[in-house]
Amino acid sequence: MRPALAFAAALVLVAVQAALLRYVGGGAFSLSLALPVVVYLSLHAGNVDGALGAAAVGYVADLMAGGPKGLMTFLAVALFLVSRLAVAALSIHGKTGFAILSGVGTFFCGVGALLLTRAVSPAESAPGFALLGRMAIEAFLTGALSPLILLGMRRLDGLFAREEPGLSGLLR
Amino acid sequence: MVGLLKRYRELILVALLLVLPLGVYFAHAKHPSERSRLDRVIMGLTGPIEKGIGWAVTGVMNGWSGYIALRHAHERAAALKHELDVLRLDQLDLVRTRDENERLRRLLAFAQEVPGRQVVGARVIGVRLDPKGLQLVTIDRGAGHGVGLMMPVVVAQGVVGRVHALTGGTADVLLLSDRNSSIAVRVDRSRARANVRGTGSPDLCRLEYALRSDDMQEGDLLLTSGTDGVFPRGLPVGKLSGLKRSGQGLYQRADVAPIVDLTKLEEVLVLTATSVGGSEQSQATAPAAPAGVAAAGTKP
Repeated sequence: MRPALAFAAALVLVAVQAALLRYVGGGAFSLSLALPVVVYLSLHAGNVDGALGAAAVGYVADLMAGGPKGLMTFLAVALFLVSRLAVAALSIHGKTGFAILSGVGTFFCGVGALLLTRAVSPAESAPGFALLGRMAIEAFLTGALSPLILLGMRRLDGLFAREEPGLSGLLR
Repeated sequence: MVGLLKRYRELILVALLLVLPLGVYFAHAKHPSERSRLDRVIMGLTGPIEKGIGWAVTGVMNGWSGYIALRHAHERAAALKHELDVLRLDQLDLVRTRDENERLRRLLAFAQEVPGRQVVGARVIGVRLDPKGLQLVTIDRGAGHGVGLMMPVVVAQGVVGRVHALTGGTADVLLLSDRNSSIAVRVDRSRARANVRGTGSPDLCRLEYALRSDDMQEGDLLLTSGTDGVFPRGLPVGKLSGLKRSGQGLYQRADVAPIVDLTKLEEVLVLTATSVGGSEQSQATAPAAPAGVAAAGTKP
Protein backbone atom coordinates (compact mmCIF):
# COMPACT_ATOMS: atom_id res chain seq x y z
CA MET A 1 0.00 0.00 0.00
CA ARG A 2 2.80 2.41 0.91
CA PRO A 3 4.45 2.42 -2.54
CA ALA A 4 1.10 3.25 -4.19
CA LEU A 5 0.44 5.97 -1.62
CA ALA A 6 3.91 7.40 -2.17
CA PHE A 7 3.38 7.32 -5.92
CA ALA A 8 0.02 9.15 -5.64
CA ALA A 9 1.47 11.68 -3.21
CA ALA A 10 4.42 12.27 -5.54
CA LEU A 11 2.07 12.84 -8.49
CA VAL A 12 0.09 15.43 -6.55
CA LEU A 13 3.24 17.08 -5.25
CA VAL A 14 4.89 17.40 -8.66
CA ALA A 15 1.66 18.91 -10.00
CA VAL A 16 1.63 21.43 -7.12
CA GLN A 17 5.33 22.06 -7.69
CA ALA A 18 4.79 22.71 -11.41
CA ALA A 19 1.96 25.14 -10.64
CA LEU A 20 4.00 26.91 -7.94
CA LEU A 21 7.04 27.29 -10.17
CA ARG A 22 4.88 28.60 -12.97
CA TYR A 23 3.19 31.34 -10.96
CA VAL A 24 5.82 32.14 -8.29
CA GLY A 25 9.42 33.16 -8.70
CA GLY A 26 9.51 33.45 -12.47
CA GLY A 27 12.05 30.61 -12.79
CA ALA A 28 14.47 32.11 -10.26
CA PHE A 29 14.45 28.94 -8.18
CA SER A 30 13.29 25.34 -8.31
CA LEU A 31 11.82 22.82 -5.88
CA SER A 32 11.83 19.05 -5.37
CA LEU A 33 8.69 18.45 -3.38
CA ALA A 34 8.62 14.73 -4.17
CA LEU A 35 11.90 14.01 -2.34
CA PRO A 36 10.55 14.64 1.20
CA VAL A 37 8.18 11.76 0.50
CA VAL A 38 11.25 9.51 0.12
CA VAL A 39 12.60 10.81 3.43
CA TYR A 40 9.21 10.11 5.01
CA LEU A 41 9.35 6.55 3.67
CA SER A 42 12.83 6.08 5.14
CA LEU A 43 11.44 7.07 8.54
CA HIS A 44 8.17 5.15 8.51
CA ALA A 45 8.24 2.35 5.94
CA GLY A 46 9.88 -1.05 5.85
CA ASN A 47 12.85 -1.86 3.62
CA VAL A 48 10.93 -3.35 0.72
CA ASP A 49 7.91 -1.04 0.89
CA GLY A 50 10.14 1.97 1.31
CA ALA A 51 12.51 1.09 -1.53
CA LEU A 52 9.61 0.41 -3.90
CA GLY A 53 7.91 3.64 -2.85
CA ALA A 54 11.16 5.56 -3.30
CA ALA A 55 11.57 4.08 -6.79
CA ALA A 56 7.99 5.11 -7.63
CA VAL A 57 8.60 8.66 -6.39
CA GLY A 58 11.88 8.80 -8.30
CA TYR A 59 10.14 7.65 -11.44
CA VAL A 60 7.63 10.47 -11.16
CA ALA A 61 10.52 12.91 -10.67
CA ASP A 62 12.19 11.39 -13.75
CA LEU A 63 9.09 12.05 -15.80
CA MET A 64 9.00 15.62 -14.59
CA ALA A 65 12.70 16.16 -15.26
CA GLY A 66 12.30 15.28 -18.93
CA GLY A 67 15.83 13.85 -19.18
CA PRO A 68 16.94 10.24 -19.63
CA LYS A 69 14.80 8.00 -17.42
CA GLY A 70 16.25 6.20 -14.42
CA LEU A 71 18.42 8.96 -12.97
CA MET A 72 15.99 10.24 -10.36
CA THR A 73 14.71 6.70 -9.68
CA PHE A 74 18.22 5.62 -8.79
CA LEU A 75 18.83 8.74 -6.72
CA ALA A 76 15.52 8.38 -4.87
CA VAL A 77 16.31 4.77 -3.87
CA ALA A 78 19.82 5.87 -2.88
CA LEU A 79 18.33 8.72 -0.82
CA PHE A 80 16.00 6.24 0.85
CA LEU A 81 18.93 4.03 1.86
CA VAL A 82 21.14 6.90 3.00
CA SER A 83 18.27 8.49 4.96
CA ARG A 84 17.57 5.17 6.63
CA LEU A 85 21.19 4.90 7.66
CA ALA A 86 21.18 8.48 8.87
CA VAL A 87 18.01 7.91 10.89
CA ALA A 88 19.56 4.83 12.45
CA ALA A 89 22.88 6.54 13.18
CA LEU A 90 21.56 9.93 14.30
CA SER A 91 18.60 10.75 16.43
CA ILE A 92 16.25 12.53 14.03
CA HIS A 93 12.87 13.54 15.40
CA GLY A 94 10.12 15.97 14.71
CA LYS A 95 9.49 18.46 11.96
CA THR A 96 12.86 20.19 12.25
CA GLY A 97 14.81 16.95 11.85
CA PHE A 98 12.59 16.00 8.93
CA ALA A 99 13.15 19.39 7.31
CA ILE A 100 16.93 19.17 7.72
CA LEU A 101 17.03 15.63 6.37
CA SER A 102 14.82 16.62 3.42
CA GLY A 103 16.95 19.68 2.64
CA VAL A 104 20.26 17.80 2.86
CA GLY A 105 18.81 14.87 0.88
CA THR A 106 17.56 17.21 -1.83
CA PHE A 107 20.97 18.85 -2.06
CA PHE A 108 22.81 15.54 -2.36
CA CYS A 109 20.30 14.28 -4.94
CA GLY A 110 21.00 17.44 -6.93
CA VAL A 111 24.74 16.89 -6.67
CA GLY A 112 24.34 13.21 -7.64
CA ALA A 113 22.23 14.17 -10.65
CA LEU A 114 24.85 16.73 -11.65
CA LEU A 115 27.70 14.21 -11.43
CA LEU A 116 25.84 11.45 -13.27
CA THR A 117 24.71 13.84 -16.01
CA ARG A 118 28.29 15.04 -16.42
CA ALA A 119 29.39 11.41 -16.65
CA VAL A 120 27.20 10.70 -19.70
CA SER A 121 27.19 14.12 -21.42
CA PRO A 122 29.77 15.42 -23.88
CA ALA A 123 32.12 17.91 -22.24
CA GLU A 124 30.75 20.87 -24.20
CA SER A 125 27.14 20.30 -23.12
CA ALA A 126 27.72 18.96 -19.59
CA PRO A 127 26.18 20.97 -16.74
CA GLY A 128 28.67 23.01 -14.72
CA PHE A 129 29.29 23.28 -10.99
CA ALA A 130 27.86 26.79 -11.09
CA LEU A 131 24.52 25.05 -10.52
CA LEU A 132 25.53 24.20 -6.95
CA GLY A 133 24.27 27.55 -5.66
CA ARG A 134 20.90 26.99 -7.27
CA MET A 135 20.81 23.49 -5.80
CA ALA A 136 21.47 24.91 -2.34
CA ILE A 137 18.51 27.27 -2.72
CA GLU A 138 16.36 24.41 -3.99
CA ALA A 139 17.41 22.28 -1.02
CA PHE A 140 16.68 25.09 1.45
CA LEU A 141 13.23 25.79 0.01
CA THR A 142 12.35 22.10 -0.21
CA GLY A 143 13.47 21.61 3.39
CA ALA A 144 11.41 24.65 4.45
CA LEU A 145 8.27 23.27 2.82
CA SER A 146 8.85 19.64 3.87
CA PRO A 147 7.06 19.89 7.27
CA LEU A 148 3.84 20.52 5.33
CA ILE A 149 4.51 17.37 3.32
CA LEU A 150 5.22 15.49 6.55
CA LEU A 151 1.81 16.53 7.90
CA GLY A 152 0.12 15.52 4.67
CA MET A 153 1.84 12.14 4.56
CA ARG A 154 0.95 11.45 8.20
CA ARG A 155 -2.68 12.22 7.46
CA LEU A 156 -2.60 10.04 4.34
CA ASP A 157 -1.00 7.19 6.29
CA GLY A 158 -3.63 7.58 8.98
CA LEU A 159 -6.38 7.17 6.40
CA PHE A 160 -5.05 3.94 4.98
CA ALA A 161 -3.26 2.26 7.89
CA ARG A 162 -5.93 1.96 10.59
CA GLU A 163 -5.65 -0.85 13.06
CA GLU A 164 -8.68 -3.04 13.43
CA PRO A 165 -10.14 -2.54 16.93
CA GLY A 166 -9.72 -5.66 18.97
CA LEU A 167 -7.30 -7.25 16.53
CA SER A 168 -4.40 -6.86 18.97
CA GLY A 169 -6.43 -8.65 21.58
CA LEU A 170 -6.97 -11.60 19.28
CA LEU A 171 -3.27 -11.84 18.55
CA ARG A 172 -2.30 -11.99 22.19
CA MET B 1 20.37 -21.35 -3.35
CA VAL B 2 16.64 -20.78 -2.80
CA GLY B 3 17.25 -20.46 0.89
CA LEU B 4 19.92 -17.92 0.22
CA LEU B 5 17.59 -15.97 -2.02
CA LYS B 6 14.86 -16.08 0.63
CA ARG B 7 17.25 -14.97 3.28
CA TYR B 8 18.57 -12.00 1.32
CA ARG B 9 15.47 -11.19 -0.72
CA GLU B 10 15.07 -7.70 0.75
CA LEU B 11 18.67 -6.89 0.07
CA ILE B 12 18.45 -8.25 -3.47
CA LEU B 13 15.30 -6.29 -4.16
CA VAL B 14 16.81 -3.06 -2.91
CA ALA B 15 19.98 -3.73 -4.89
CA LEU B 16 17.87 -4.36 -7.99
CA LEU B 17 15.98 -1.12 -7.40
CA LEU B 18 19.32 0.63 -7.30
CA VAL B 19 21.01 -1.07 -10.23
CA LEU B 20 18.06 -1.29 -12.66
CA PRO B 21 17.31 2.45 -12.79
CA LEU B 22 21.01 3.15 -13.21
CA GLY B 23 21.11 0.70 -16.15
CA VAL B 24 17.99 2.31 -17.62
CA TYR B 25 19.57 5.73 -17.19
CA PHE B 26 22.78 4.78 -18.97
CA ALA B 27 20.79 3.03 -21.70
CA HIS B 28 18.65 6.14 -22.27
CA ALA B 29 21.61 8.50 -22.08
CA LYS B 30 23.54 6.70 -24.81
CA HIS B 31 23.37 7.80 -28.40
CA PRO B 32 20.97 5.47 -30.32
CA SER B 33 23.81 4.14 -32.47
CA GLU B 34 25.83 3.19 -29.37
CA ARG B 35 23.07 1.23 -27.62
CA SER B 36 23.70 -2.48 -27.03
CA ARG B 37 21.10 -5.24 -27.24
CA LEU B 38 20.68 -5.15 -23.45
CA ASP B 39 20.05 -1.41 -23.62
CA ARG B 40 17.35 -1.93 -26.25
CA VAL B 41 15.71 -4.70 -24.18
CA ILE B 42 15.67 -2.45 -21.12
CA MET B 43 14.15 0.40 -23.11
CA GLY B 44 11.56 -1.90 -24.69
CA LEU B 45 10.48 -3.12 -21.25
CA THR B 46 10.33 0.28 -19.63
CA GLY B 47 8.69 2.10 -22.58
CA PRO B 48 5.04 1.06 -21.93
CA ILE B 49 5.41 1.72 -18.20
CA GLU B 50 6.76 5.17 -18.95
CA LYS B 51 3.88 5.81 -21.31
CA GLY B 52 1.29 4.82 -18.69
CA ILE B 53 2.86 6.87 -15.94
CA GLY B 54 3.31 9.79 -18.31
CA TRP B 55 -0.40 9.61 -19.12
CA ALA B 56 -1.26 9.71 -15.41
CA VAL B 57 1.06 12.66 -14.75
CA THR B 58 -0.29 14.56 -17.75
CA GLY B 59 -3.83 13.87 -16.52
CA VAL B 60 -3.07 15.35 -13.12
CA MET B 61 -1.37 18.37 -14.70
CA ASN B 62 -4.27 18.92 -17.08
CA GLY B 63 -6.68 18.56 -14.16
CA TRP B 64 -4.81 21.28 -12.37
CA SER B 65 -4.59 23.68 -15.28
CA GLY B 66 -8.06 22.88 -16.65
CA TYR B 67 -10.10 23.00 -13.44
CA ILE B 68 -8.35 24.14 -10.29
CA ALA B 69 -6.35 26.96 -11.89
CA LEU B 70 -9.56 28.20 -13.58
CA ARG B 71 -11.34 28.79 -10.27
CA HIS B 72 -11.73 32.54 -10.81
CA ALA B 73 -12.12 32.37 -14.58
CA HIS B 74 -15.85 33.21 -14.47
CA GLU B 75 -15.27 36.39 -12.47
CA ARG B 76 -12.41 37.39 -14.75
CA ALA B 77 -14.50 36.69 -17.85
CA ALA B 78 -17.37 38.81 -16.48
CA ALA B 79 -15.00 41.68 -15.67
CA LEU B 80 -13.40 41.45 -19.11
CA LYS B 81 -16.82 41.37 -20.79
CA HIS B 82 -17.81 44.50 -18.90
CA GLU B 83 -14.55 46.14 -19.95
CA LEU B 84 -15.17 45.06 -23.54
CA ASP B 85 -18.65 46.61 -23.49
CA VAL B 86 -17.24 49.89 -22.22
CA LEU B 87 -14.52 49.83 -24.87
CA ARG B 88 -17.09 49.12 -27.59
CA LEU B 89 -19.12 52.12 -26.49
CA ASP B 90 -15.95 54.21 -26.50
CA GLN B 91 -15.15 52.94 -29.97
CA LEU B 92 -18.62 53.88 -31.25
CA ASP B 93 -18.18 57.31 -29.73
CA LEU B 94 -14.81 57.68 -31.43
CA VAL B 95 -16.20 56.61 -34.80
CA ARG B 96 -19.04 59.10 -34.44
CA THR B 97 -16.60 61.86 -33.49
CA ARG B 98 -14.34 60.98 -36.42
CA ASP B 99 -17.24 61.08 -38.89
CA GLU B 100 -18.44 64.38 -37.49
CA ASN B 101 -14.92 65.76 -37.69
CA GLU B 102 -14.73 64.73 -41.35
CA ARG B 103 -18.04 66.41 -42.14
CA LEU B 104 -17.01 69.59 -40.34
CA ARG B 105 -13.68 69.59 -42.16
CA ARG B 106 -15.49 69.44 -45.50
CA LEU B 107 -17.84 72.24 -44.42
CA LEU B 108 -14.86 74.36 -43.38
CA ALA B 109 -13.15 73.73 -46.71
CA PHE B 110 -16.35 74.79 -48.49
CA ALA B 111 -16.64 77.93 -46.38
CA GLN B 112 -13.07 78.91 -47.22
CA GLU B 113 -13.44 78.17 -50.95
CA VAL B 114 -14.56 81.68 -51.91
CA PRO B 115 -12.81 84.64 -50.26
CA GLY B 116 -15.31 86.93 -48.59
CA ARG B 117 -17.99 84.25 -48.27
CA GLN B 118 -19.69 84.59 -44.88
CA VAL B 119 -21.27 81.57 -43.30
CA VAL B 120 -22.92 80.47 -40.09
CA GLY B 121 -22.49 76.84 -39.15
CA ALA B 122 -25.52 75.10 -37.67
CA ARG B 123 -26.66 71.73 -36.47
CA VAL B 124 -29.91 70.13 -37.57
CA ILE B 125 -32.11 69.79 -34.50
CA GLY B 126 -35.43 68.88 -36.13
CA VAL B 127 -36.62 67.15 -39.28
CA ARG B 128 -40.04 67.21 -40.91
CA LEU B 129 -40.16 65.40 -44.22
CA ASP B 130 -43.86 65.25 -44.97
CA PRO B 131 -44.51 64.17 -48.57
CA LYS B 132 -47.92 65.89 -48.54
CA GLY B 133 -46.79 68.99 -46.68
CA LEU B 134 -43.67 71.00 -46.10
CA GLN B 135 -40.25 69.43 -46.21
CA LEU B 136 -38.32 71.25 -43.51
CA VAL B 137 -35.38 70.86 -41.20
CA THR B 138 -34.88 73.02 -38.15
CA ILE B 139 -31.40 74.29 -37.33
CA ASP B 140 -30.04 75.61 -34.05
CA ARG B 141 -29.12 79.06 -35.39
CA GLY B 142 -31.61 81.88 -35.90
CA ALA B 143 -31.97 85.62 -36.23
CA GLY B 144 -29.84 86.16 -33.14
CA HIS B 145 -26.91 84.53 -34.93
CA GLY B 146 -27.17 86.55 -38.14
CA VAL B 147 -29.43 84.16 -40.04
CA GLY B 148 -32.08 85.80 -42.22
CA LEU B 149 -35.06 84.74 -44.33
CA MET B 150 -34.33 83.31 -47.79
CA MET B 151 -30.66 82.75 -47.01
CA PRO B 152 -29.23 79.71 -48.83
CA VAL B 153 -28.41 76.66 -46.78
CA VAL B 154 -25.77 74.29 -48.06
CA VAL B 155 -23.42 71.49 -47.15
CA ALA B 156 -20.04 70.79 -48.70
CA GLN B 157 -21.60 68.57 -51.39
CA GLY B 158 -24.19 71.12 -52.54
CA VAL B 159 -27.50 72.88 -52.00
CA VAL B 160 -29.82 71.91 -49.14
CA GLY B 161 -32.50 74.63 -49.33
CA ARG B 162 -33.22 78.10 -48.04
CA VAL B 163 -34.29 79.68 -44.75
CA HIS B 164 -38.06 79.71 -44.59
CA ALA B 165 -38.95 80.84 -41.06
CA LEU B 166 -36.99 82.34 -38.20
CA THR B 167 -36.93 82.67 -34.45
CA GLY B 168 -34.21 84.21 -32.33
CA GLY B 169 -32.37 80.94 -31.83
CA THR B 170 -33.60 78.60 -34.56
CA ALA B 171 -34.53 78.63 -38.20
CA ASP B 172 -36.66 76.42 -40.46
CA VAL B 173 -35.01 75.48 -43.71
CA LEU B 174 -37.20 74.68 -46.71
CA LEU B 175 -35.50 71.79 -48.47
CA LEU B 176 -35.00 71.77 -52.22
CA SER B 177 -37.26 68.70 -52.37
CA ASP B 178 -40.26 70.68 -51.08
CA ARG B 179 -43.01 71.34 -53.65
CA ASN B 180 -42.69 75.09 -53.01
CA SER B 181 -38.97 75.15 -53.72
CA SER B 182 -37.72 76.23 -57.13
CA ILE B 183 -34.02 76.82 -57.84
CA ALA B 184 -32.56 78.30 -61.00
CA VAL B 185 -29.91 75.98 -62.40
CA ARG B 186 -27.58 75.60 -65.32
CA VAL B 187 -26.30 72.37 -66.89
CA ASP B 188 -22.63 72.25 -66.06
CA ARG B 189 -21.66 70.67 -69.41
CA SER B 190 -23.75 72.70 -71.87
CA ARG B 191 -24.61 75.80 -69.77
CA ALA B 192 -28.33 75.30 -70.62
CA ARG B 193 -30.72 76.92 -68.13
CA ALA B 194 -33.70 75.43 -66.26
CA ASN B 195 -35.36 75.27 -62.84
CA VAL B 196 -35.34 72.46 -60.28
CA ARG B 197 -38.60 72.05 -58.40
CA GLY B 198 -39.26 69.77 -55.47
CA THR B 199 -41.77 66.92 -55.62
CA GLY B 200 -42.26 66.20 -51.93
CA SER B 201 -39.91 63.23 -52.06
CA PRO B 202 -36.45 63.81 -50.53
CA ASP B 203 -34.69 61.82 -53.23
CA LEU B 204 -36.47 63.20 -56.32
CA CYS B 205 -36.98 66.65 -57.89
CA ARG B 206 -38.27 67.71 -61.26
CA LEU B 207 -36.66 69.76 -64.01
CA GLU B 208 -38.79 72.67 -65.27
CA TYR B 209 -38.51 75.16 -68.06
CA ALA B 210 -35.77 73.35 -69.89
CA LEU B 211 -36.09 74.28 -73.53
CA ARG B 212 -36.57 71.32 -75.84
CA SER B 213 -33.78 72.54 -78.05
CA ASP B 214 -31.26 72.68 -75.17
CA ASP B 215 -28.44 70.14 -75.02
CA MET B 216 -29.15 67.90 -72.02
CA GLN B 217 -28.15 64.33 -71.26
CA GLU B 218 -28.90 61.94 -68.47
CA GLY B 219 -26.29 62.24 -65.74
CA ASP B 220 -25.59 65.89 -66.41
CA LEU B 221 -24.62 67.84 -63.30
CA LEU B 222 -26.88 70.80 -62.47
CA LEU B 223 -25.36 73.84 -60.75
CA THR B 224 -27.09 76.90 -59.37
CA SER B 225 -27.13 79.62 -62.00
CA GLY B 226 -27.20 82.53 -59.53
CA THR B 227 -30.18 84.10 -61.34
CA ASP B 228 -32.88 83.48 -58.74
CA GLY B 229 -31.58 86.02 -56.27
CA VAL B 230 -31.17 83.42 -53.53
CA PHE B 231 -28.38 80.98 -54.33
CA PRO B 232 -24.90 81.99 -55.43
CA ARG B 233 -23.65 80.71 -58.75
CA GLY B 234 -22.00 77.31 -59.15
CA LEU B 235 -23.34 75.24 -56.23
CA PRO B 236 -24.17 71.62 -57.16
CA VAL B 237 -27.91 70.84 -56.98
CA GLY B 238 -28.44 67.44 -58.55
CA LYS B 239 -28.05 65.14 -61.51
CA LEU B 240 -30.36 64.64 -64.45
CA SER B 241 -32.21 61.37 -64.90
CA GLY B 242 -35.28 60.12 -66.77
CA LEU B 243 -34.97 62.68 -69.55
CA LYS B 244 -38.08 62.84 -71.77
CA ARG B 245 -38.01 64.89 -74.95
CA SER B 246 -41.37 64.62 -76.77
CA GLY B 247 -41.86 65.51 -80.42
CA GLN B 248 -43.99 68.52 -79.57
CA GLY B 249 -44.12 71.22 -76.90
CA LEU B 250 -41.77 73.92 -75.76
CA TYR B 251 -39.94 72.11 -72.92
CA GLN B 252 -38.28 68.80 -72.26
CA ARG B 253 -38.94 67.01 -68.98
CA ALA B 254 -36.59 65.21 -66.64
CA ASP B 255 -36.15 64.05 -63.08
CA VAL B 256 -33.39 65.36 -60.85
CA ALA B 257 -31.68 63.34 -58.13
CA PRO B 258 -30.51 65.78 -55.41
CA ILE B 259 -26.76 65.67 -54.93
CA VAL B 260 -27.21 65.95 -51.14
CA ASP B 261 -28.85 63.14 -49.18
CA LEU B 262 -31.51 65.24 -47.48
CA THR B 263 -32.46 62.48 -45.07
CA LYS B 264 -29.03 62.40 -43.44
CA LEU B 265 -28.32 66.04 -42.74
CA GLU B 266 -26.52 66.77 -39.48
CA GLU B 267 -24.50 69.96 -39.91
CA VAL B 268 -25.18 72.68 -42.48
CA LEU B 269 -23.91 76.12 -43.43
CA VAL B 270 -26.08 79.17 -43.85
CA LEU B 271 -24.57 81.55 -46.40
CA THR B 272 -25.12 84.97 -44.83
CA ALA B 273 -23.26 86.94 -47.49
CA THR B 274 -22.87 85.37 -50.89
CA SER B 275 -21.74 86.12 -54.40
CA VAL B 276 -25.10 85.96 -56.20
CA GLY B 277 -24.87 86.21 -59.96
CA GLY B 278 -21.19 86.91 -59.71
CA SER B 279 -21.30 89.87 -57.32
CA GLU B 280 -20.83 89.59 -53.58
CA GLN B 281 -23.78 90.88 -51.59
CA SER B 282 -25.42 90.58 -48.22
CA GLN B 283 -28.87 89.07 -47.94
CA ALA B 284 -31.37 91.94 -47.85
CA THR B 285 -33.64 90.34 -45.28
CA ALA B 286 -30.88 89.37 -42.92
CA PRO B 287 -30.41 91.27 -39.68
CA ALA B 288 -26.99 92.73 -39.04
CA ALA B 289 -24.56 89.87 -38.45
CA PRO B 290 -23.23 89.77 -34.92
CA ALA B 291 -19.51 90.11 -34.32
CA GLY B 292 -19.15 86.33 -33.91
CA VAL B 293 -19.92 85.63 -37.58
CA ALA B 294 -16.57 85.60 -39.24
CA ALA B 295 -15.81 85.94 -42.91
CA ALA B 296 -14.86 82.66 -44.58
CA GLY B 297 -15.41 80.72 -41.39
CA THR B 298 -17.98 78.71 -39.58
CA LYS B 299 -19.59 79.45 -36.32
CA PRO B 300 -20.81 76.23 -34.81
